[in-house]
Amino acid sequence: MDNILSVLVFFPAIAGLLGFVVNKDSARAYGITVAAIEFFLSLWLWLSFDSSNAGMQFVELIPLIPDMGIGYYVGVDGISLFIILMATLMTLIGMMSMTITKNIKNMIITLLFLEMTMIGVFVALDAIIFYLFWELSLVPMLYIIGAWGGPLRVYASVKFFLYTFTGSLIMLVGMLFMAYVYHNLTGVWSFAITDWYSLVLPVNYQLWLFAAFFFGFAIKVPMFPFHTWLPYAHGQAPTIGSVILAAVLLKMGTYGFVRFSLPMFPDASVMMITPIAILAIIMIIYTAMVAYAQKDIKQVIAYSSVSHMGIIMLGIFAMNAEGISGSVFQMLSHGIVSGALFMLVGVIYDRRHTKLMSEFGGLASVMPKYAVIFGIMLMASVGLPLTIGFVGEFLVLLGFYQVSPIMTILAGTSIIIGAIYMLAVYKKTFFGPVTNEANKTLKDLDSKETWSLIPLVLIVIWLGVYPKPVLEPIDNSVKAMVSFMHEKAITQEAKDMIKVAKTDKGGF
Amino acid sequence: MLQPINVSLESLNLITLAPMLIVIAGALIILILDLINNKLHKSLYVMLTLLILFVDFGAVLGLNVNERGFFDVMLIDGISIISQLMIIVGSMIFIPLALTSRRFHEYSYPEFFALFLFMIAGFQFMVTSDNLILIFVGIETASLALYTLIALHNRSNSYEAAVKYFTMGALAAAFYAMGSAVIYGLTGSIELYKVAEVMATRINETGLMIAIFGSSVLLLVAFSFKLSLFPFHTWAPDVYEGASAPLAGFMSVVPKIAAFVVSIRIFGMYIDLGVEWVRIIILVMAVLTMTLANIMALVQEDVKRMLAYSSISHAGFIMAALALDTTEGTTAIFLYYALFMFTNLGAFSMLWISRHKNRRFDARYDHPYEKFAGFIQIMPVGAVIMGLFMLSLAGVPPFSVFWGKIYVMQAAVNAGYVWLAIVMGLNSAIAAYYYLKLIVYMFLMDPVKDVDTIYYNLSKPLMAVIGLATLATVTAIFYVQPLISYLYYMISASGY
Repeated sequence: MDNILSVLVFFPAIAGLLGFVVNKDSARAYGITVAAIEFFLSLWLWLSFDSSNAGMQFVELIPLIPDMGIGYYVGVDGISLFIILMATLMTLIGMMSMTITKNIKNMIITLLFLEMTMIGVFVALDAIIFYLFWELSLVPMLYIIGAWGGPLRVYASVKFFLYTFTGSLIMLVGMLFMAYVYHNLTGVWSFAITDWYSLVLPVNYQLWLFAAFFFGFAIKVPMFPFHTWLPYAHGQAPTIGSVILAAVLLKMGTYGFVRFSLPMFPDASVMMITPIAILAIIMIIYTAMVAYAQKDIKQVIAYSSVSHMGIIMLGIFAMNAEGISGSVFQMLSHGIVSGALFMLVGVIYDRRHTKLMSEFGGLASVMPKYAVIFGIMLMASVGLPLTIGFVGEFLVLLGFYQVSPIMTILAGTSIIIGAIYMLAVYKKTFFGPVTNEANKTLKDLDSKETWSLIPLVLIVIWLGVYPKPVLEPIDNSVKAMVSFMHEKAITQEAKDMIKVAKTDKGGF
Repeated sequence: MLQPINVSLESLNLITLAPMLIVIAGALIILILDLINNKLHKSLYVMLTLLILFVDFGAVLGLNVNERGFFDVMLIDGISIISQLMIIVGSMIFIPLALTSRRFHEYSYPEFFALFLFMIAGFQFMVTSDNLILIFVGIETASLALYTLIALHNRSNSYEAAVKYFTMGALAAAFYAMGSAVIYGLTGSIELYKVAEVMATRINETGLMIAIFGSSVLLLVAFSFKLSLFPFHTWAPDVYEGASAPLAGFMSVVPKIAAFVVSIRIFGMYIDLGVEWVRIIILVMAVLTMTLANIMALVQEDVKRMLAYSSISHAGFIMAALALDTTEGTTAIFLYYALFMFTNLGAFSMLWISRHKNRRFDARYDHPYEKFAGFIQIMPVGAVIMGLFMLSLAGVPPFSVFWGKIYVMQAAVNAGYVWLAIVMGLNSAIAAYYYLKLIVYMFLMDPVKDVDTIYYNLSKPLMAVIGLATLATVTAIFYVQPLISYLYYMISASGY
């Protein structure tokens, strides 16, 4: 099936449209079935994916507006493949664990449309198609936060929308300028990313364009100081909203850096290493400290999520294969771990309708299964060896060590601060005597919750112990990209900084 | 003794007049029908008007590009043909909106339809001539008919709106007349192509620049009134509010297309002559218009007034494309309006179906935001459609206005105005807030009170029109390419 990517993109959308007809009592089952089929389709994509090929695979190209150079152009490589898999997996698991009953049909339809836009972003190879899915993903998320969220939901959802929308409009101007430059040099209009890769731009153009794209991506990541929308969005969003937001939507920003900024503007990227690394380190340490000061479990996880996104940013700007592969791997691990943590917070919120740590204590004796799974996820989030979180974080730090040892040490403190705030959460919530009467009768995980969390636990351990099947295709594509950047860079310092791997032994 | 003038019918090329004559004849037929039998229902007149517009459409399509006729005052070039087609299509969407389930007295007069057709003839004269006097006649024919159409609506502020529009229109006409007089004084001609020739030879004469500049400023003021550009936009929200919802939607599109065509002819000439001042003033006005109208729209409490300000802002957006004076910029103007037409008329139609006889939600406004609170629970399909229109207006891809927006922005970037593209982008971001506000009310709030009859005015023809607008909004990605290539071909064929 050569057009599997189109199937993957449009299957959830069509299922969403047909979902309007489905009776609302059956909507949940319908949604889970569709999401499962979509997940199996993405597994099929992985099976038929050629891991030794570093280039784009399953490419489809249909011209839509040839006069402007816009076409439906999709493809997948090692970098995007696993993010797509993670998106379908997290949608499926999020739907399985969902406890919302109000307007469940609208929720299912919205989630299916959201799934289309998420996959669309990661397969798009045409800038306008990328932008189209990128912007369209805001609408379902706006609705999810705004319709099912907490008391401040409208404020949070509008803030989320406007922040991201503003950034991406500046990015759109950058895209239009890029197309204009391409037209000037070649005489042809094209928005295809692969065409843009071939452009060697003067450094000042690169810097301006880098800045334009930076606004779009950095707000989405979210980079410090553009992160203020995220705690609101997470704080107000329902569990499913936070899961998808943390697991997939934030990855769009970091993926954008890998797909657009690095290969298109290698010199500007190298020049921006220090400023971005400083921002990333501020983001890592500052938000980790903020996380420690939170009283609400969900806010702790939200801020820790920002902190981990800082690690991913740092890895991307290490400009070598270890750092970038580590970042892409960390995107997956962060998606799975923070998604699972948000689901776990959702579990306790459903029971007690509070997320304040002071309300809990001693839960380990009341809810042992819950405590075990929470513990594993927490360790993975901190980056304990043999969990998924370790692999990515280690590679990132290893990669960035070649750039600046001091900054790497500073970033490494995040593991320590991370351990502090996470263990503090664990201590306050799970250990000690059960002080609150209401907690004594809490039920442990039911089968629905257990079965949605077990697969994530298995993945966390499997990829922590043996990351090779995932890391190898990522590494292949990243190495190809890095050597391409090395070729393309015009300034000497950029050529020196972008290190091509000497051996092609993949990962571990 | 004067020689008798011999004019051969051949040389008049009367076919160039055919579209307007069809419309005028159609209007007269409607009046005669009413004379014979005055008990005929509005549905007959609506269908008759549609048919006349259909014939008109055919007649315009049949014209040859780049012809002159009728003592060379008629000019059939690419932009006149595409603008006439757009005017007719816009009217064809507008006129079935008369078939509401409630009775509105303006539609019970056949004169409404006759006046409407006279107005269309006026617009067509405006766009098919480069003779300043014929343009003036076209403007006035269309405007006088439009003032009357506004006043026919049964709200007390309709009269206020009509009088306001009339006063402002008269002022604009005065500026136009003065500007044309200065041009005539400078060049001894009122035909723009001759004016351009004479000006080109005299442009370096000392002391003349001030006169050339003065004429351009007078004309710019006149058209700023028509296009509702800052600081001459203040009439627009009140007039839109007073007019019936479909007429307000119509006014935000069709008269502006006609005025833009004339602006392209006049100000394009100045820019081509190298009068950079005109370009700078237009750019400044465009940026101020889009920004200030956006900021004003943020604080509106009424959806119709919000849409009025948003239309002003969109006009500013398009005005910026005019200043570029490139083929792409001109194409952008028409592409934007072609796409904007469906979405905006659709949005105003959604207001139209929720029109009540009494103001049930607010003493001051017909369509306060509260009226749409919880619309998703009352009328899910309607809410989704209105939501789509709002997203489209905000420029969310892949809906129609987005493609217009990126074409305008691309044209700005290509002409070297990257800052303009950034200003446009930021303005779209500001605009997103007020469109989003309506979406928030519709989707995320609970209904306020006895709202079971929001869709009070709905009828099958209205559903058809809204369905068409929705289809055009959602499927834009598939027809943008043929639209661009047709528009680009026609515009480059006539040398703009």
